[in-house]
Amino acid sequence: MTLEIGGLTVRFGGVTALSEVDLTVRPGELVGLIGPNGAGKTTLFDCLTRRRDPVAGRMLFETGELGGLPPYEVAGRGIARTFQHLGLFPGLSVRENVMVGAHRHGRSGFGAAALRLARSRREEREIHRIADEVLERMGLLPLADHPAAHLPHGTLKRIEIARALAVRPRLLLLDEPISGLGQDEVAEIARLIRDAHFVSGAAIIVVEHHMEFVMGLCGRIVCLDSGRKIADGPPDRVSRDPAVIDACLGVAP
Amino acid sequence: MRHGNDGREGTGVNAVAQTGHRRLAVGRMAGDRRRVWPWRRTTLAALAVAACAAPFVLEPYRVFQLTMVLVYGIALLGLNLVVGHGGRVSLGHGAFLAIGAYIAAVMTGRLGVPYPLALPVAALVTFGLGLALGRPALRLSGPYLAVVTFVIAAVVPPVIKRFGTVTGGSMGLPVPVPSAPSWTGLAEDQWLYLLVLAVAAAAFAAARNLLESRAGRALTAVRENPHAAEILGVRPGSHRALAFGWSAMYAGVAGTLYAWVVGFVSPDSFTVTLSIVLLAAVVIGGPGSLAGPLLGAVFVTFVPAAAQRAGDALPGIVSGLLIIVVVCFAPTGLAGLLRMAAGGVARRLGRG
Repeated sequence: MTLEIGGLTVRFGGVTALSEVDLTVRPGELVGLIGPNGAGKTTLFDCLTRRRDPVAGRMLFETGELGGLPPYEVAGRGIARTFQHLGLFPGLSVRENVMVGAHRHGRSGFGAAALRLARSRREEREIHRIADEVLERMGLLPLADHPAAHLPHGTLKRIEIARALAVRPRLLLLDEPISGLGQDEVAEIARLIRDAHFVSGAAIIVVEHHMEFVMGLCGRIVCLDSGRKIADGPPDRVSRDPAVIDACLGVAP
Repeated sequence: MRHGNDGREGTGVNAVAQTGHRRLAVGRMAGDRRRVWPWRRTTLAALAVAACAAPFVLEPYRVFQLTMVLVYGIALLGLNLVVGHGGRVSLGHGAFLAIGAYIAAVMTGRLGVPYPLALPVAALVTFGLGLALGRPALRLSGPYLAVVTFVIAAVVPPVIKRFGTVTGGSMGLPVPVPSAPSWTGLAEDQWLYLLVLAVAAAAFAAARNLLESRAGRALTAVRENPHAAEILGVRPGSHRALAFGWSAMYAGVAGTLYAWVVGFVSPDSFTVTLSIVLLAAVVIGGPGSLAGPLLGAVFVTFVPAAAQRAGDALPGIVSGLLIIVVVCFAPTGLAGLLRMAAGGVARRLGRG
C-alpha cells in the first residue's frame, strides 16, 4: 500500500472536521475525493502534509508513520501537494518556483552556494534540469523566466502542479486543480494530470467539486460528508449512491 | 535587426501555441530581457574599471568617501539578506558593526596581532552571534522582532563603555591604520581603498552566488509563502536564522573595515541611530536587489552629512522623509528606479 489512513479524527474547538476516516491508496492509483464544502477534504490533505495534527488515528505512508513528522520532512518522504487557493512564490520566476519544488534533490547550503563549490554547481545544474523537464512537460517552458504572477489563473494552476511534480512525489495531492477555470482549460488540466500520472507512476488524490471532471479522470471515488466517509468505489457506482447524490450532487444529477 | 525581430515574434507565437493563452507580450518581454543583457555586462565592466581607477584619479578625501561607501555597502548587502530577501526587519545591525570594529581595534591596537587576522575572527564571531540570536529572535515577526533587534543595538554601546579596560570606554580606542606594503608604492588611502574594494567585491560575489542558489531561492520562498515552502522541504526557521547569521557576518566584516579606514572606534559611532539609518538605507536603496545596498550606501555616506551642513536636526528629517517618499512612490527603491530607467533607455535604443 502507498497510503493507509485509519481512524483519522480531527477537531477544531467543538467542531469535528474528520471523524474516524479510513482510506487506503494503492501505488499508482488515481483517486477522486469529493464532498460538499466543509466535508473535510482539505483537512485530510493538511493532516497528510503535517499542517494539522489529528487527535486520533494513524497515517502510514509506504513504510513510515506520518504523524509527528515536521512539515519540512514531508517532501523528503515523497509527498507533494497543491493548494486550493494557489501557494506560489510570486517574487520568483516560474522556473525558480519549480526549482524550489526540486529543493529536496539538493543538499548544499549557504556556504557551499556562496563559494560556488563544485558540489553546489553540480546540484544547481541537476535542479535546473529537473525543473526544465517538468516545465516542458507542462508546456510552461516559454514562460520559464516570467514572474509567477500576473499570469492567467489556469497557467498559475499549472505552475503549481509543475512545482509539485518537481518534488518527484510518489503521492501527489491536488486540491481543486480546476477551480475557477474555463471549459477548455479543464480539459487541458485533465490531460496534464493523466500525463503526469502516467509518466511519474505516482499515486494521486484529487479533491474537486467538478463531478464530470473527477468521474472522468479517476478510477476510484471517495466521498466525504461532514467529516465521515460515506462512499468509496468506482465512479459509476459512487455516482448512483443515494447518500452521495444527497450530499454532493443535489437532486437527481 | 529585421532578423532579430522575427526571432522574437517567434518566441511570442510559440508561447501562445504552447500555453493556449493570448500573452504575446510575455514572449516579447523575455526576448527584450535577452537583448538587454550585453548592456548590463558592459555597465558592470565599466563600473569595475572605474572602481579600480578611482583612487588614482580622485583627491584623498573623495577616496576616503568612496571607501566608506564600500564599507557601508558590505553591511547593507548583509542587512538586505534579512530585510530584502528574508522579509524580516532588523534594527540591530549597528551592533554587529560595532563588534566587528572592536575586534579589529582590540586585536591590532591592544594585542598587536597583524591586522589581516582581525577580518576572519570578526567574521566568525559575528556569524556565531547572529546565528545564536537569530534562531530565537526570528520566530517573532513584525514589531516584536523590531523590538528584540532594537534591544541588541541599544545594549552594545553601554557594554563597550562598561568594559573600559579592554575597549577604552567612552574615550574610544585608536586603531593602527594598515599601511601599504612598500613595493606597491601606494599612498595609505589608496591602499585602504583597494583593500576594501577587494573585500567588497568578494562579498558582492558571495551574495550573488548565494541568492542564485538553492539556498537563496529557499530564502525567498520562505518570505513569499512559508507554508508552501515548508511542504516542499525548506526549513523556514533555519533558513531565516542562517540568513541572519550571514547578514551579521557581513556587518562584522564591514565593522572591521570601518575600524581600519577611520583609524578610531568609539561607542558613540555605533548608536541605535546607526542601526536605524542602515535599515533606512536598505529600504531606500531597494530591498531584495543586488544594486540596492550599494545605492543605499551612497545615501548613507552623503545624504546625512549634506543635511548636517544645512542644520543639526535635518539628517533625521531628511532620512525620514525620503523613506516615506520611497515607500509611497518607488517601493523597489533607487535600484528599481534605475532598472526602470535602464529598461526605458534600452527600449528606445532598440527601437531606434
